[in-house]
Amino acid sequence: MDFYKGHVLKIDMSTGTAEVEPLNMEWARLYVGGKGLMLRYLWDLTEPGMDPWSPENPLIVAPGPFAGTNVSTCSRVVLGGKSPANGTILDSYCGGSFGSVLKFAGYDLIIVQGCAAELTAVLIKDDKVSFVPAAKYAGMLTADIEAALRADFDPHMTSLSIGPAGEHKLPWACVSNDQYHKAGRGGTGALMGSKNLKAIAVAGTGRVTVGDARAFLEDIERIDTDYILTDSNYWVHEEGTPVLVDVTDGAGCQPTRNYSSGTFKGAGNINSEAFKKIRVKKRACYQCTLACRNFHRINDIEGEGPEYETIALCGSNVGVDDIAALMQFNHLCDEYGLDTISTGNVLGLAMDMTEKGIHDFGLHFGDIEAYLKIPEQLALRTGVGAELAMGSRALAAKYGHPELGMQVKGLEAPGYDPRGSFGMSIAYATSDRGACHMRSFPIGVEIVEGTMPADTLDESKAEFNVTFQNHYAFKFCGVWCDFWAIDYEQMGMLMKHLWKREVTEEEMTQVGERVWNLGRLFNLREGYSKADDVIPEAWLEKPFSDGVSAGKIIGTARFNEVLGQYYALRGWDEDGVPTEAKLTELGIDVRL
Amino acid sequence: MPHVMISSKKCTGCHMCELGCSAWHEGGFQPSRARLFADVNPTTAVIKGHSCLQTGCAKCQEACPNDAIVAREITVTPSGTFASKEKVGDSVTGIVLVVDEEKCNNCGDCYDVCPYGVIHEHPERKVAFKCDLCDGDPQCIAFCQNQYVLAVDLKVDKADRALTAKA
Repeated sequence: MDFYKGHVLKIDMSTGTAEVEPLNMEWARLYVGGKGLMLRYLWDLTEPGMDPWSPENPLIVAPGPFAGTNVSTCSRVVLGGKSPANGTILDSYCGGSFGSVLKFAGYDLIIVQGCAAELTAVLIKDDKVSFVPAAKYAGMLTADIEAALRADFDPHMTSLSIGPAGEHKLPWACVSNDQYHKAGRGGTGALMGSKNLKAIAVAGTGRVTVGDARAFLEDIERIDTDYILTDSNYWVHEEGTPVLVDVTDGAGCQPTRNYSSGTFKGAGNINSEAFKKIRVKKRACYQCTLACRNFHRINDIEGEGPEYETIALCGSNVGVDDIAALMQFNHLCDEYGLDTISTGNVLGLAMDMTEKGIHDFGLHFGDIEAYLKIPEQLALRTGVGAELAMGSRALAAKYGHPELGMQVKGLEAPGYDPRGSFGMSIAYATSDRGACHMRSFPIGVEIVEGTMPADTLDESKAEFNVTFQNHYAFKFCGVWCDFWAIDYEQMGMLMKHLWKREVTEEEMTQVGERVWNLGRLFNLREGYSKADDVIPEAWLEKPFSDGVSAGKIIGTARFNEVLGQYYALRGWDEDGVPTEAKLTELGIDVRL
Repeated sequence: MPHVMISSKKCTGCHMCELGCSAWHEGGFQPSRARLFADVNPTTAVIKGHSCLQTGCAKCQEACPNDAIVAREITVTPSGTFASKEKVGDSVTGIVLVVDEEKCNNCGDCYDVCPYGVIHEHPERKVAFKCDLCDGDPQCIAFCQNQYVLAVDLKVDKADRALTAKA
């Protein structure tokens, strides 16, 4: 079979056994791979209301069909399940090489269920799967576990591993691949930790076929030249995500001191120009020609990042403009295995509550000394970290100020304040995993391109979000990276190789819509409802007093009106539930 | 004489060269059968490129007891751009060392002497396999396309020890 390997590796941590079952090709046709395929398996593998911390919660690892070929950016892999952080769908992505190597080992999907009695590492080498006691790896930081697995197992292996944060089940612990690639959001690391699974290492010697390989190579060489290595994509190589600092700061939507402002005085110290001065090299993910990864060096720290989200949440949002401290903080989060978006949110919240006199956490905006202790304290749940580990939603509620926790559906917000980009309000409210900028990104048209006004919210923004979400839901089945601004025409050129026929935009859009609706059904099944499609009140009613977005408000009534328009455009009822007609139209075979 | 080389300094570790190489030769993407490779340490991001220097090295040819590593004339005209293009031009004619599979008995002497680890036993055909410059359009160069990187390069070795090799 071309592209797919036809095998699902099912791992039972409780019994220490693994078995291979055939890939459900009907689902592969309907959902392609990655996000969609993961969600369809997730639906079947879980009972409604399942405790996400229970052994039954599956960790599903799904690359896309193009992983293991030379289609750029497609080494990416989705880690899915039910989120331990908030109980929505969990779909978190990382680059690196795991997706490609998993295919070389012969699998389209890994499903891990159960819980081991002791900390365990799972080693996969082609068709051999072994379970190794991992007591000696306990507590290891990312660099150490990577090095230990290479030395103990196979120098050419790649792994998904957790740091101490995952072992301590921090709700926003992440999973690392090849040291710097993180499946960051939603608690993938906590899910692994809850299974006593320290690492999954894989080495593969097999092949991925594509039909006529030489014809495929010729086509890809052309696609790379014409559609990837273009002026509109090269920014990721020349600049990388730090370029967004000037963009968001200039537009008044850079989270600053717990989202109390959209403009940060110290932005110039942590923007792309500042990072370029300490840049030492560029690196790429496996099978990607773009090479977006920036390595920086300052003092005795050299490593990848920080990326924009880290700069925004762990920089401006906590009042830190010291580039060396930010580098060190990012490095510590990488090593301990923490998602920097949630970390920066929780820290900013604790600083805000301290400075407002609500509760003294001993943390203040810009206090570098206390700041640098936080990653370890959170990961090990020591000191102030023991309490902060409950996350923004619970922490803000505990002290009677839920309005200060910048989160949606329990997931802390990324680095774009909707007060500077109104369309983001609907993007956050309707995102399937809580506050997320990777499902729809109105910033692109409202700020970067300026083709839609940033300070209006109307039906056109609802429509924009629907279209973008469908596009990205399909893109994440692919699994193409956000950094390739791939359109339907280009995806169609690649899908033609996969399906061996012309594939229309309508077909791809429908797959995306199918996936989006299935995600919605899952969240509804797990107890989420219209009442949860809300965003922090401050974003709707409390205007900034400084910056270019000063004085502008979305307004709750306007937001609710456009949310209703969004539901209607989606073919959902007034409560945001997909209608029977819509589910039938999309060929979704499950029901609430 | 023409050969390809991965600049360890410029390489970003994307492995596209290995993927292109294996797909062109083996009918599918299989880096374990690539004829060159980039050894990447994920943590330090230090990269070491491994590729065949052809007649500039020729240790495999010297070691072969069966004269199975043979010199063959080749014109290399990479389809993509590459760093040394201005210097070497669009096309280079010279000698490439290839495996004569009729003569090779898989004794392994060449595997032991190759300084770069780029000649191995083919898992199916049970003979040695190595870089043959893809009949003149090296896929490793073709897929090192990022204009800011261009790590895989066409090199020309002037001090050629195998010019007299049996063609």
